[in-house]
Amino acid sequence: MHVLSKEDFSEFINSLIADNSLNVVGVKSKGEKFAFGPLESANQLRLDYDVTILPPKKYFFPQRETLVTYNVSSGYKSKSLEDVKPTIIVGAHPYDIMALLHMDEIFRETKSDPNYLSRRNSSVIIGVNIQNMSESCFASSMGCATIDYGYDLMLTDLGDKYAIDVGSHKGADLLNKYSKNVKKGLARDIQSVGKKKQEIMNKTHQKFGFSSELIPEMLGKFYEKTSFWEDHSEECLSCGSCVLVCPTCYCFDVIDNPDLSLKTGERERTWDGCLLEDFAKISSGENFRNTKATRYRHRYFKKGKYLFDRFGFVSCVGCGRCSSTCLPDIANPVNLFNDMYDESLKIGIQIDPATIPDIKIKTGNTIDYAPKIATIVKKVPMTANETMFELKLDDGSELGHQPGQFVQVSVFGVGEAPFGVSSSPTKKDTFELCIRKLGNVTSKIHTLNEGDKVGIRGPFGNGFNAELLKGKDLLFVAGGLGIVPLRSLFNYVLDNRNDYGRVILLYGCKEPRELLFGDEILSLEDRDDVEFKSTVDRCPENEVWNSNVGVITTLIPQVDFDPQKTYAVVCGPPIMYKFVIRDLKSHNVPDDHIIVSLERRMKCGVGKCGHCQINQLYVCKDGPVFNYSKIKGIPEAL
Amino acid sequence: MKPKVAFFDFAGCEGDQLQIANLEEEILDLLGQVEVVSFREVMKEHSDDYDIAFIEGSCTRLQDEERLKEIRKNASVVVAIGSCATIGGINSLKNYQNMDDVKKIVYGEKASLFDTYPARPIDAVIPVDAYVHGCPMTKAEFLHVVKSLLLGKKPEIPNYPVCVECKKNENVCAFERGEFCVGPITRAGCDSCCVNEGTKCWGCRGMVDNPNENSQKEVLVKYGLSVDDAIGKFKLYFGWQGKKK
Repeated sequence: MHVLSKEDFSEFINSLIADNSLNVVGVKSKGEKFAFGPLESANQLRLDYDVTILPPKKYFFPQRETLVTYNVSSGYKSKSLEDVKPTIIVGAHPYDIMALLHMDEIFRETKSDPNYLSRRNSSVIIGVNIQNMSESCFASSMGCATIDYGYDLMLTDLGDKYAIDVGSHKGADLLNKYSKNVKKGLARDIQSVGKKKQEIMNKTHQKFGFSSELIPEMLGKFYEKTSFWEDHSEECLSCGSCVLVCPTCYCFDVIDNPDLSLKTGERERTWDGCLLEDFAKISSGENFRNTKATRYRHRYFKKGKYLFDRFGFVSCVGCGRCSSTCLPDIANPVNLFNDMYDESLKIGIQIDPATIPDIKIKTGNTIDYAPKIATIVKKVPMTANETMFELKLDDGSELGHQPGQFVQVSVFGVGEAPFGVSSSPTKKDTFELCIRKLGNVTSKIHTLNEGDKVGIRGPFGNGFNAELLKGKDLLFVAGGLGIVPLRSLFNYVLDNRNDYGRVILLYGCKEPRELLFGDEILSLEDRDDVEFKSTVDRCPENEVWNSNVGVITTLIPQVDFDPQKTYAVVCGPPIMYKFVIRDLKSHNVPDDHIIVSLERRMKCGVGKCGHCQINQLYVCKDGPVFNYSKIKGIPEAL
Repeated sequence: MKPKVAFFDFAGCEGDQLQIANLEEEILDLLGQVEVVSFREVMKEHSDDYDIAFIEGSCTRLQDEERLKEIRKNASVVVAIGSCATIGGINSLKNYQNMDDVKKIVYGEKASLFDTYPARPIDAVIPVDAYVHGCPMTKAEFLHVVKSLLLGKKPEIPNYPVCVECKKNENVCAFERGEFCVGPITRAGCDSCCVNEGTKCWGCRGMVDNPNENSQKEVLVKYGLSVDDAIGKFKLYFGWQGKKK
């Protein structure tokens, strides 16, 4: 522990500001409120603040940032962050420091986010113990009112001086280099700091009526209580304020900003929020969380349960920003959880503290948001709305995908969208995508021709486990565009035909003219090692169809298969799964013999942006291929 | 070949076209991408041969509908610019009154010489392909829409409220400054420009697709407005809630 007189502290801050190689920011007043902003002088600092409008997260995960620049003639480049100026953050409260520790784990998990981490690694956090607590703060209930690590320096106001606790070498060096007259703290100073911290820990304006350790388990028991969520979210404006001010929220959107030449531009990342109406909407119009109640519930679950299950922490630090920003006053976690606890007592639900899950955090490669360039080598129209594109990576490398994986395809200036690869990995030099014209990216891709360039990121996600399926009978069930990802496995199996047992394909689409891969699929009828049945929902008078008419499930009773030896591989529009799975189960197919591939909105492809999240799962990372036995208890999945 | 563009105006202040005239350095880049064949505010020439029509102003007379339909026939893309054209704008304030009274107030004894009917946005008369909201529209959003159209892209206009941008801009909430703001139900895309300048959102971009109007009214009342005044907050820009063509 060190001490520094307030005068010398101001000198310390001013000498930091005087160093142009540093970006010094701190808490300043903004109207009646407070905000972190660039410091021009130590006099601007308001270390007596209660809470800032936005947390200091904005310096590492800014509201808007350029991820990638592009030039149609030279491709995509990740925006280099090598010249990032070290940011010195002066005045972070302990709960905001804890929030950064949460964010560090999230942005490092599986694949690390280079932008967040390079800014974070070069920063210095000078914390300050809370002097005035905001009315909505409940940090003490979350164990975040004080903190013993996570900072480089921690200040405690002792009247005419600051006690300074050094938390890192970086902090020690900074203090050495830029401050004068630092003294060693005496026993009475250490005791004063201890007392102040104790006072803060005991102080709160908002309090849980139960132990906050019950939150994950309690949530688990309330998921299905629809009316509870509807009642609490009735007044929700879907304005997203609660998540936008949150220090642990990290959902984002990615948009292309072309300049007026239309040849060059930037791909920008910007904050998004799961409370916003269109957050989980895909381009076909399907919205996977289309009510206020489901979005409202998702926020509490993400903080209180999903992140707990993944990382072992409830991702709320009790800053109270959500409750003070919410105009209808429905976002206060303390009120919500107290209501939930009261309700659980009323209806007699027993809640035990959650056991900390066995956390296996993998950290791996750094994400490269810049796509590789690929050339369209072949374009084959398949139906009025679907076209097959054969692509080759310009650097000569193989895509190296597993059947069932997907890629993110970029079109300069228009954007990026995910597509399941439809060709088998046995096809090496090129890969195929079958794309339906639906939104902006797909419509633009349809205007491209052979020789034109697109960007490719990936392959991403978990594909089909072709090894596990060896020796098994396979029943493929494809509805409409669902044939596209299934085809990668189907063709792989045909290319390794001796490794597999019976191969049955059931394929349905709305009308005969919507049949995809027509010649290829219909030629299966000539093979004696593949059983193939097709159906259409209806056949208009002017079209010809000699096969089954009816929904896809009408084909299931037409094939005889041994449910114990058979694995069913299912992909189709969202509505299809429920019915196909019901019928497979009625044929005694075990749950773990059913494999599905799911579609969701995906922006990042690497488990960060949050759009594809189904309860605790990320479709882009944990899927898109799932074993039914693993997701059958997950309400949002099917 | 550069697409040919034309500008048209109906009932409005022409402030949106003025935003284009004021683009300054960007106007040259813009003219590198399009050929302007008609723009009454800045040029004398006129041609009916155009691909993209930008229409400012609301439709306030039956006889204006013919002109709109003619524009729709000529153009492959119709873009409504500014609040009057996109949502009816403040012209729709008259819709709360009797049309005969409105005429008398404006034209006095000569009222019988003029026609009028409830003010409406362009898409109440003809289908519209793209919108540049705002009163006036911002230059940035106009350019965003133009660039999107040139790239063959449907312009992405937010379906979330102004609060999103306001939070990103770290504004002190207008309600906390004692203002009564309709940002929580108003479509974003303006980068919360009015609140950034220390005032409040009036709603000039119209409401989001599914606004929680009841909750917004309750919030206004909770912060001290009378119920009538809270309802009045909706009248300034949300006066037309008719169907789209």
